[in-house]
Amino acid sequence: MTGEDPGPLIRLYGLTGGRARPQGESFDLVAIVVTAGDPAEPADLIPEHRAVLALCRRPTPVADVAAHLRLPLNITRVILGDLRRDGLVRIERPRPMAQAIDERIYREVLDGLRSL
Amino acid sequence: MGYAAFETGTATVAPALAIKILIAGGFGVGKTTMVGTISEIRPLHTEELLSDRGIGVDDTSGVESKVTTTVALDFGRITIREGLWLYLFGTPGQDRFWFMWDELALGALGAVVLADTRRLQDCFPAVDYFEQREIPFVVGVNCFDGARRYEPGKVRRALGLGEHIPVVLCDVRDRRSVRDVLTTLVTYAVKGA
Repeated sequence: MTGEDPGPLIRLYGLTGGRARPQGESFDLVAIVVTAGDPAEPADLIPEHRAVLALCRRPTPVADVAAHLRLPLNITRVILGDLRRDGLVRIERPRPMAQAIDERIYREVLDGLRSL
Repeated sequence: MGYAAFETGTATVAPALAIKILIAGGFGVGKTTMVGTISEIRPLHTEELLSDRGIGVDDTSGVESKVTTTVALDFGRITIREGLWLYLFGTPGQDRFWFMWDELALGALGAVVLADTRRLQDCFPAVDYFEQREIPFVVGVNCFDGARRYEPGKVRRALGLGEHIPVVLCDVRDRRSVRDVLTTLVTYAVKGA
């Protein structure tokens, strides 16, 4: 025994089954997660899965999901990969910045920064 | 349960967009402070659970007051509006975490390289990294208490930067100053000027 509380690590292990990598195609830290439209949730979802589905009814970046869950990013990614595999969330592939930031968004960002 | 082959009910007027900006520079230069100064949320500290954790002693010579290090990631957020955010990611300041930079840099709008004039050489690796990958960056010279003030031009020459790369003096504890650095970066990254 090391004397350290093993509780958190065991819990993290339980969330991911010990996996370090998410299922399927990898996704960016700021990829947008959206809860899939079908309102029928499986009854056996763990609380973290329910929390993601509730949060991501509004499009939410992966990093924010991690912040909301208070979990490390790679654990969050495993959870999101599972939910995507089960068709419960969609994870959007980010567009290249050059295409994503048009003149209107550029102006919005500048105005937003200046108002801080 | 049904697979949502056809999305409904989550339509948004414009696609949500999270713009990623990196805050880089040597250990103890003020990256975490900068993120915390401007973020609307308390910066989230998180770690990738590494199986092979590097062992080393952080060189804090000349960095008197910093006692903790950013071991993995911390990030902050600025909400421009619903569905449009800036995310600021502090890059790991230690060499043994270089492998995380590629993931952070992928798809980033650009980077702020923070420089400490007392240890200017510490930001060389970050400058090299972004130059090689053609990721737009600006250099923010953090004006620490007690540090000599340098002309931006001298810093530019010392770092061997082209004339087009913005070099700005800043105080990472000051919200307006950090805001101005980010404004400079966004304009440079989008407009190239």
